[in-house]
Order: sequence, then structure tokens, then C-alpha cells
Amino acid sequence: MKNGRSVVLVVEDSPIIRMGAVELVLSAGYEALDACDADEAIRILELRDDIDLVFTDVQMPGTMDGIKLSHYIRDRWPPVKLIVASGAAILEESILPGGSRFFSKPYDELTITTAIAHLLASETLHTRSI
Amino acid sequence: MPQIPTDHLEAASTLAVVISSKDPLLFLSDDLRIIAASTSFCRAFEIDPATVSGKRLGELGNGEWAMPKLQSLLTATATGSASVESYEIDLKRPDQKTRQLVVHAQTLDDGDVDHIRLLLAITDVTDMRAAARLKDDLIRDKAILLQEVQHRVANSLQIIASVLMQSARRVQSEEARGHLQDARHRIMSIAALQRQLSASPGGSIELRTYFTQLCQSLGASMIAEPERLSIQVTVDDSIVDAEVSISLGLVLTELVINALKHAFPDDRIGTIAIDYRSSGEDWTLSIADNGIGMPGGEDAPKAGLGTGIVEALVKNLNGVITLTDANPGTVVTISRRETSDVQADLSSAA
Repeated sequence: MKNGRSVVLVVEDSPIIRMGAVELVLSAGYEALDACDADEAIRILELRDDIDLVFTDVQMPGTMDGIKLSHYIRDRWPPVKLIVASGAAILEESILPGGSRFFSKPYDELTITTAIAHLLASETLHTRSI
Repeated sequence: MPQIPTDHLEAASTLAVVISSKDPLLFLSDDLRIIAASTSFCRAFEIDPATVSGKRLGELGNGEWAMPKLQSLLTATATGSASVESYEIDLKRPDQKTRQLVVHAQTLDDGDVDHIRLLLAITDVTDMRAAARLKDDLIRDKAILLQEVQHRVANSLQIIASVLMQSARRVQSEEARGHLQDARHRIMSIAALQRQLSASPGGSIELRTYFTQLCQSLGASMIAEPERLSIQVTVDDSIVDAEVSISLGLVLTELVINALKHAFPDDRIGTIAIDYRSSGEDWTLSIADNGIGMPGGEDAPKAGLGTGIVEALVKNLNGVITLTDANPGTVVTISRRETSDVQADLSSAA
């Protein structure tokens, strides 16, 4: 959270898709950050403690793909919510960390913003119940 | 002809048959001495034919046939306690690649019960196995390549959809924004097919899954209040070619977009029902809404790009479009009748 707004980190190697995803996050009323691969995403996560959700691609160059990144994040920053998008038509949600959502590309914007809203809402409820 | 060093003389015809066997064959006594070896055996395993007769199996060549497993199997076959059918062994020779062999042993059944003799047939399957492995590798490579192509296609479609969305956000004109959003729906319609194709073998499409996914995608992006508007999909078990399904999918996309945009103004509640059924070559696709109905006369809307796309695709599918007033709402029916076409041709010819 930053100034009362949830912060979403977009991880995507294609610049145009990244731009589109950042706009999608902004237009839904969230704060947006972006990284072009897993390594940059981890650097950003290490620098800031206000990231609520990571929206990542699967196929990316670098040391980790989006699936490995999502497990790494769940391990190291357990409260961070995860949305994974891939060009693969079918991807078992079971290979992703529990509670994360998968969408195949091309994704629909409303579907993604709805998923972000749900995941962030469940976080708020969770925090309240503690 | 090699001499037989046993006191028992084999019939010359038996020896001739063994020696001329096309596939490698050994004729052995019950103590595993070679009575005769086929020329094909000597050639395949590089053994001098003049040296074989009377030798023990284990002494052949450089002793590479002295495989304890093979010997015990042959002994068991000779005593009748086991049979060797398609047993696999590896033939290892110095400075040569290991050969994979399939051996088959049986006793010679010529009525002479005092002299047990064995026939050992050997097939070298090394090359066959290598070819099968290569084929498996190729099939796997092809699957990986195909998957890679599908990822790229999905990513490219995502790039196009992203660009269209970004443009739609920036334009000032409501009309231009509408056109850009429609373009994005058409892309998503093709993407839904692509997704379905990548999961189905042989390039044919199960229409029920495809139409359901397509309408879900259209609903997700166009219906802001799901409790007000819904899309129902009823499709039989039809499976069609990718080529046909893309036309049907685009027609469906246009008609559903059209109904969602125009049939339910002023927060009207309603349903769009999609129905597809086929029988042989004939099929019917209907898109029914319970909205305000189509304005006629001077209020009739001007034909747009959507209408053009639908007409062109339906014509290409040899279909006919029918518009019916459903009171309330509109039913658009697209049907293809193989039989009625024939009748029409006949009547015009008469």
C-alpha cells in the first residue's frame, strides 16, 4: 500500500504488453510498478515493502521464468498476491503457489482487474481477521 | 559344408536349411556346441564360417558369445524347463558398439528324441531401436516446436490487444473508441479459437467448448453487470474444421457484440441465447435476444463493418441469414441446408 492505494508490480518482457498491463493497473486505480524480468522484479521487491500484488508473465528471459518467480515470491514475501499470465493455453494452476491465479494470453482486461480486486479484497479481509 | 564333429550325423538337408537361413541362425547340440551356423550369422557378427563347426558357443569369435545368461537360457531350453522367446541381450565386442539382439531359441522337433538340438535365431534390433528412438525424438521436438509457436501466437495477439486497448483509452471520440474496442473483441475471438486449437489434435474444433469460451470472453469484457445481462450457450456435439470454426466464431462474435450493444438500452435486463445444432452437412446457428427488437424503416441502423463481416462469412459458409422478430427481441438465424440447395438448383433448372 502506498498512500492508501494498493501497489501492483507488472513483470513482462514484451515492452508493449508491459505498457498495456501498466495502463490496465493504473486505470483500475492502483499504483503500478514494472519490471522486464524476474531479476528486476526481485530487485524491486527487495527495495520496497509496499507491493501488494505481482502480475507476471511466464515465458521470460533471465534466470527465472514466471512460475519460478511466483514460487520465489511466495517463499520470501508470503503476503504478496500473485497473478500469472502465459501464452500456454492450459497451465495447471497446481504448479503455481496456492492462492495464485492463472490466465492465458491474450487476457481480457476486465478479467484481470476483477481478479486483482478479488485478491486484494481477500487480503484486506485476512488482515482484519487477524 | 562344415564337418560335424559329433558321432551323430545330421541330415544334409537340415544343415543346408540352417546355413542358407536369411536371418542369423545357429544350430546347436545340447551341450551348446555349434553344429552349423548360417552364412547370414557369420556375416552379421564377423565370424569366419570355416571356424565355427564343433566349437562351443562361448568360443565363437573372441568369446563375446560366452554370455552366462544366454548359456543358462539355452541349457534350460535344451532340458525343456524353459523356452526363450524374444529374449533381449546385448552383444559386447571390443572396439565395437554394443549391439542389441533379440534371441529366440527352441529345440529342433524332428522326432529324434535321443539327440536334443537347438535352433537359436538372432535378430539385431540396434538400428531398428535407434530409428524408433529418432522417431520419438522427432515427435517430441515437433510438439515442443508447436508449443513454442502457440506461445508466440498468443503473445502476438496479446500485443495487438494491448495496443488496441491503449489506443481506445487515448482517443477522444466515443465512436472511434467503440471501433477500437470492437477490433479488440474480434482479436479475442480469434484468440479463443487459437487456444482451443492448441489443445485439440488434428486441427478440428469442438464447437461447444469454443463457443462457450468465446461467449465467456465477450461477456467478461462487455458485460459490466452480470446480474443484468447474460449469455447462454447451447451447442450439440459438433466437431468442425478449424477453417469453418473461425468463420462461425467471428459471425457469433459480431452478432453477440451487436446484441449486447443495441438490444438492451436503459439498463434493460435480458439474455442472449446461442444455439448451434447440426445434422450431416446441415447446421443452424441462432442468436436470440429478448431485447428491444430491431428498429425498422427509417430508424433501421446503417449497415456497419460488423454486418459486412457477417454477410461475407455466411456467404462463404454457404449459409443463409434470417432475421426474425421474436417479440420481445430479435432472432438471427444462420443456416446451411445442403438438401435445399440441391432442390433450389433443380427447380431453377426446370
